[in-house]
Parts: sequence; structure tokens; C-alpha cells
Amino acid sequence: MAVKLIASYSKRLGLPGFSSHQFSVSVETELTGVTDIAGESSRLYEALQSSVDQEIQQTGFVPTEAYGIEGKPSTPVARPNGRGEWKCSPKQKELIRQLIQDHSLDKGQIENLAQERFNLSLPELNKLQASGLIDELFRMTGGAPRQSRNGFPPKPQRVGGRQ
Amino acid sequence: MIALKEQFTPANRITELLEERVSPSRLGCWLQCRLKFFFRYVLGLPQSNSPSLHLGKTVHAVLQLWNLARWKGVPAPLAELEASHDALFLDEGEEAVPWESEEERGTTKVKGRSLLSVYLEETNIPFNEKPLGVEVRMEADLQSHGLPNLGGIVDLVRPGGIIVDYKTAAQTPDPRMALHQHETQLTSYALLYRDATGEKEGGVELHHLVKLKKPKAVITQAPPATEGKINRLFRTMESYVSGVQREDFVPSPGLHCSYCPFFAQCRKWEG
Repeated sequence: MAVKLIASYSKRLGLPGFSSHQFSVSVETELTGVTDIAGESSRLYEALQSSVDQEIQQTGFVPTEAYGIEGKPSTPVARPNGRGEWKCSPKQKELIRQLIQDHSLDKGQIENLAQERFNLSLPELNKLQASGLIDELFRMTGGAPRQSRNGFPPKPQRVGGRQ
Repeated sequence: MIALKEQFTPANRITELLEERVSPSRLGCWLQCRLKFFFRYVLGLPQSNSPSLHLGKTVHAVLQLWNLARWKGVPAPLAELEASHDALFLDEGEEAVPWESEEERGTTKVKGRSLLSVYLEETNIPFNEKPLGVEVRMEADLQSHGLPNLGGIVDLVRPGGIIVDYKTAAQTPDPRMALHQHETQLTSYALLYRDATGEKEGGVELHHLVKLKKPKAVITQAPPATEGKINRLFRTMESYVSGVQREDFVPSPGLHCSYCPFFAQCRKWEG
């Protein structure tokens, strides 16, 4: 009777610059009987571990501490380039467009709001600024407010009068 | 065609959890007690309301109004904030607060007002300071690190990228211990801020509103997160993922059990 033995070995190591790397090796073999499962497992474990340990020493590119903070960001932060790219996330961009469309908002008015709050155009808003604008749009349209951490939907009309 | 809703089972929920974004509160719950995490996030048992929780939520909501008013550049006089506090205090949410008496309700309301006015007197935030963000929800894709998305809501981001988190506490916090206890949350916010803006945060601040007989505000400041702290956060997230995969939901008895909403369920748990 042929017995199939599948073994895999994986190792993940932390690296500087908030990164880590991982390498896995898997192997599948057939045994002619069940008597040598333990011996074959042990042999495979040693072979796989040795292989992974040898390869994982090659770290390849390791980011510095400044990587992603100064200069080139680690997470792509889109810069408006005059071709319609937005700095916020695609989800945020879609949500802003959806709110404008669903509530027939004046796009010029929303552009003005972005200028007034952040001194930036809509495509120039980063994720943090876009998040603030989206909450403001929810408040303006009286739509289902997003739950806040305190459990209450924001009720800004109570302070400072209506906007 | 009628869509059939999949029947709830803990196994299904665990599969969902592994695909969902991780928040600092989930990580905090996981670190505090894995069985509490199971009751809260896997079984979805409701958390009971309490006078202390209600006071904290109300004060938090009023501070949000104050921050929003500054963000919009409109005045927020104390009298209006106090009126908002009283109105929000009436809203107990889905689960009523188990007040022991009307007197307790009244004294808690007064305590909330008093905390607010003391905080507004003692805070280091100038009244004309325009925030960069209020109750900002952010999400970072950590797929390149082999981790789930990290998401969170930051109470306040001050100019210069200072991240602020509000807390209400019964005792005066020790600054070193407060930063240690909230490290996962604060480092998560730092990482989210960097992802959202492409810039390093200016630092973090814990603003404690302390519910003493004579209330006071305690502000604890810390510099930007170091590489070591971010590595600690990543290792914590790895531990969370592998622990949930293994269904490693064991109790961690300790001082926190005295205020755990799932104490009764925990005592019945037999492994």
C-alpha cells in the first residue's frame, strides 16, 4: 500500500523597517509502507529546515527606518498629477462621488468646502482629510451617520448653530 | 432568487473574523483575555451598560462636539456644551443604564458636567486651535506584512500631527503605566496616521478626565512611535491572527475580571 507523506516547513523572521520576510518549502512523497513514517518525517523535517534556514539568510531589500515616512512612502499615497488621480483611497473617492450623486449635491459647493476646511482641492485631500470631509457630507445630507467611538452619532447642530 | 443566510456557528464567525480588519480595541481585548474576546467578538454577546460607561460615552461625545466646532471655526460656549451634555446624557442607547437610584443618575450627570468644565479649563488645547481631524476613521492595508488590515477611529488629530485619545478614569493615571497600557492603541493610531498622510505623527497624547471628588485633567504626552513599538504591534497582530486560527480562546484571570461583563459566562466555561 502506497502512503502519501506531505511535509512543509515555514519560517518568518522580523526585519528592520517594520518589515518581515517568510519562506516556506513543501514536499510530497510516497512511502511503501507505514513502518517508516517517523523516520521519513524526521529526515524530511531536517532537510526542509536546513533548506529554509539556508535561503532565508538572503534578506533581499530591507527598508530603512525612514522608508515610507520621508521620501517615497511605503503605502502608495497617490499624488494628484493633473490626470485626475486622488490622494485619498479609492474607497473614499467612490464614497464622496456617491454622496454627491445620491444627494444631488453641488460639486462646486463640495470643492469649496474642501478649500474652506483644508485649503486643498478634493483630489488633494489625503486619507485623513477625506475621512473628515466624508463625515461632514454625511452630516450635511442627514444620512445614516457613521457610528462614532463613543457610540453616539455626532450631533454638531447643538453647538455653534446650523452650518 | 432568495438568498439563504448562512447559519451562525462559531466556526463561521471565526472565518469571518480572520478576513475582517483588526481594530486596536479588538487587539486590546485579545491581549487582556482571549475568552472575553471569544464572548465579545465570536459569540457577539452584548456588553452590559453601566453608569461609568455611560458617563464616559457622554463626556466623549461632548468633547467631539467641541472639537468639531473648532474644526468648523464656530464658537462653542461652555453653556451650550453643558446643554449638549445633558441632552446626550438622556440618551442611554439600546441598553438602559442600570441606575441604582434616581440619586445616582443625578450625581453622575453632575459629575459629567463637572468633568467637562474642569477639562476645558485645564486642557492644553487652545480654544482657537483648528484640529486636523476629529473622530477620524482610518484603515491601513498591511497585506505586504502578511497581516490583516488595521482600522481605527482617532478622537482628535491636532496641528503638527499630534494624536489625542480621551479617557475617563476613576484614579489619577501614572504617566509611564498609562502609556504602557495603551501602547497597542497609540501605536496603531500612529501607524494609521502615517498611512493616511504619508507623514510621521508629531506625537501622541492621552487626555485623562479623572473622576475624583475634585475632578482634574491629566495630559500624558509621548514622542512618535519608534520602530521597536511598531514591530511590537506587528508581532501582536501576528499573535492575534495565529491565535484566532488556532481557536486559542482561554481565560486570563486577573484584576480585570472584577469589571468584566462576561464574568458569569466565564465561570461556566469548561474548556
